[in-house]
Amino acid sequence: MNDWQRKSPLDWETYVNKMVKVAAIEKHEYEGWVLTVDPVSASIVLATFLENEEVSISVVLGHAVQEVEILKEGDDEMKQRLSCIFAPEESKAYSPEELEKRKNNLKTWLETNHIPVTEQGESGRTLCVAGVLTIDPPYGPEECSSSNEIILSRVQGLIQGYLEKQE
Amino acid sequence: MLVPVGVLRLPRGPEGSSRGFNPASPRFQALLGGQMTAQAVRANLRQRYLRGLGAARGRPTRFYLRAGVQVDAVFGAADVDAVAFQVDALRTPLGVQAAALLRYTDVLAYTFLLE
Repeated sequence: MNDWQRKSPLDWETYVNKMVKVAAIEKHEYEGWVLTVDPVSASIVLATFLENEEVSISVVLGHAVQEVEILKEGDDEMKQRLSCIFAPEESKAYSPEELEKRKNNLKTWLETNHIPVTEQGESGRTLCVAGVLTIDPPYGPEECSSSNEIILSRVQGLIQGYLEKQE
Repeated sequence: MLVPVGVLRLPRGPEGSSRGFNPASPRFQALLGGQMTAQAVRANLRQRYLRGLGAARGRPTRFYLRAGVQVDAVFGAADVDAVAFQVDALRTPLGVQAAALLRYTDVLAYTFLLE
């Protein structure tokens, strides 16, 4: 385990959204914007924006990292751009009113089916089912998160059926 | 006759998911509050990384191995314990391997293109 791997997640987080130069073993060097650092392997995920709108992603594995030098801070625009790189594709953009309606419809449907659901988070955007599964906007099967696989697949199936009945 | 019973003191504080214990209570925060913020940061970093792995899947990737060796392959998957990568169509000097495992310890870095 090298010094980089021994850092805490809070240390690694300080490098996210910054332009860095990573010096790896065998004289390799990588430069780019830090998207994230994997807590399991301490691997650094870097993004480099090319001229033709393409993004080159480089992942330097934690065990190969010797030194990380911060070159630049990312501004808000860059942070936004970086956070969207891996974001799941949204095929439709919903307005806030539409999202609110979708959320309330889904919440009512879950309650009539005797499934405990609460609203959570800032402005109650997130639905929380039985305290173990969360649903983010736009409240489809893809937006469900849970640490319990069985509940996750059950609820995804329910929501899928519910949405199909709607259309 | 009343027999004194030893008090069992458990080393861990209350867990937030147990009935009757509140993760926002001062006792919980004092004992395990620091771990909660570190855990939230850790989970966020890991989620971004996993989404990155999802984006890499199926893309032509260049792997930089030790001793200056570079190989091209199509990214398949990475395992949860950070032990190996699974790749398809690995181009080696001996030909193209339909499927292969690359050990984490052998790989220094890998890159792929995203549109």
